Amino acid sequence: MTAYLLNLATLATIFGILAASLNLLIGYAGIFSVAHAVFFGLGAYAGAQVAMLLVPDVLLACLAGGAVAALLSLGLALPALRVRGEYFVAASLGLQMMAVTVFSEAHALTGGHGGLVGIPLPTLLGFDVSAQGVFLTVCLAVLALILLAIRMLMRGSFGRSLMAIRDSESAAEAFGKDVRQLKTLVVVLGCALAGVGGALFSFYMMFVNVESFTLEQSILIMAMVIIGGTATLAGPLVGVLLLLLLPAALSFLPFIPPTQIGAVQQFIYGLAMALLMIFRPAGIAGQSAGRR
Amino acid sequence: MSAPLLSVRGLDKKFGGLAAVQQVDMDLHPGVLTALVGPNGAGKTTLFNLITGNIPADSGEVLLDGASIRGRSPHHIARLGVARSFQDLRLFARMTVRENVLAAIEHTAWLWQPGGRSARRAREAAVEQALERTGLTAQANARAMDLAYAERKFLSVARILATGSRIWLLDEPASGLDLHSRARFVSLVRQAAAEGVTICLIEHNLDIVTELADRIAFLDRGAKLAEGDPQDILRDPELIGIYFGERRT
Repeated sequence: MTAYLLNLATLATIFGILAASLNLLIGYAGIFSVAHAVFFGLGAYAGAQVAMLLVPDVLLACLAGGAVAALLSLGLALPALRVRGEYFVAASLGLQMMAVTVFSEAHALTGGHGGLVGIPLPTLLGFDVSAQGVFLTVCLAVLALILLAIRMLMRGSFGRSLMAIRDSESAAEAFGKDVRQLKTLVVVLGCALAGVGGALFSFYMMFVNVESFTLEQSILIMAMVIIGGTATLAGPLVGVLLLLLLPAALSFLPFIPPTQIGAVQQFIYGLAMALLMIFRPAGIAGQSAGRR
Repeated sequence: MSAPLLSVRGLDKKFGGLAAVQQVDMDLHPGVLTALVGPNGAGKTTLFNLITGNIPADSGEVLLDGASIRGRSPHHIARLGVARSFQDLRLFARMTVRENVLAAIEHTAWLWQPGGRSARRAREAAVEQALERTGLTAQANARAMDLAYAERKFLSVARILATGSRIWLLDEPASGLDLHSRARFVSLVRQAAAEGVTICLIEHNLDIVTELADRIAFLDRGAKLAEGDPQDILRDPELIGIYFGERRT
């Protein structure tokens, strides 16, 4: 039972990193990307390769995962941020579709459909951190650092500039904001953090393949942010707990047959999304009118 | 009159077959308040959009201090000291009043602003001063979306005021204001002009135009028909006829 709970907690922490990083884009900058799983995947493959070819150091793998995701996010940001709103969503959707194909076919880098297996046990500065509780502590520390950094940035001029762009792009430009540069910066930052999450994920699973980086995964991360609440630190974490723990909780309900859990889960997600959009469009813990 | 701070020369803009702005010349002088007057669809807001780089001109020139700014991006022109407001205000709705004003004066597109603590204090002082002059100090921590209509209008001016811009382009800033708020607005704009700010104002309320404007430029169908002293322009029966909907041939 303890191992099961530790497993859930570790996955929730990694998804917390993903949701917090996507919240930078959606919640603070108003950029809707449906390709976040791509950068999660890039970080995972880069981290795994570093661990397999060089040294299985968590710090090094996170840096490599973040750097690769950041670098390749420029491929999305530079052309796609010239367009607005729904066009960016379409561009990110295109990237997501393309990336799944590349992940499946680039055998030398990703292992293809079979994925990368045999990722060594993680170390941190020479110390073994592979025990479940210890690795969870490492993941929690990374999440805490990321949340702290996001909090500092969003309370400063960078955050205000992003929120200004989110609320009115033309007014932000009229007050001297270089909108394209700011958007590029936040996309690179958000994707880099997703890459860090990917590197941790690869160590935790000790195996990565394309199934973890599909459009469904991107939509799940987006749902975590939207349901939990945008533009707050707590919102995405609430979303993660709800969407990740819900399936686990349902499996404990004796009156739901195991074969029906998936259907019940989908029904609850759909109902929750619809009710939220009607009664609380900013999400459970998101900013609402008259309150911060 | 001193040399113009901002000049528009032969500015042209067509949207498909519609000539939105045609061969417009206009000079804005330091400390002078010019009102752009004309019926709906005259091209007044389009002229603002051309000056601020929001839409590209087909031909003509926009000169700031004698140097061309045509073709530059809106954020670059804003950093040169040309501030504008919008008819629909475009406030940063989910941010507080104080954040709205602070965001308006933070230009650097990097993770933090340069200049350290002293620059930050100067920005904070500019924000507090702008809030005080616009009567928004008590609402500083309210979100823009929660403000009353007149307060939103004053917030749109506070953002411009805090920037310290040399040129203000105000698009119907007093429309819909009650008499008390209107008087406060007139006083605020007069004070700015007295401090040397160059102001160009689009306004449909001719009482406000009469109260505020040093000069009037009259536009119709994209062309400037007249420019001069408010008394002369507003006494011209042909212009007034056009303004109130009697079409010229």
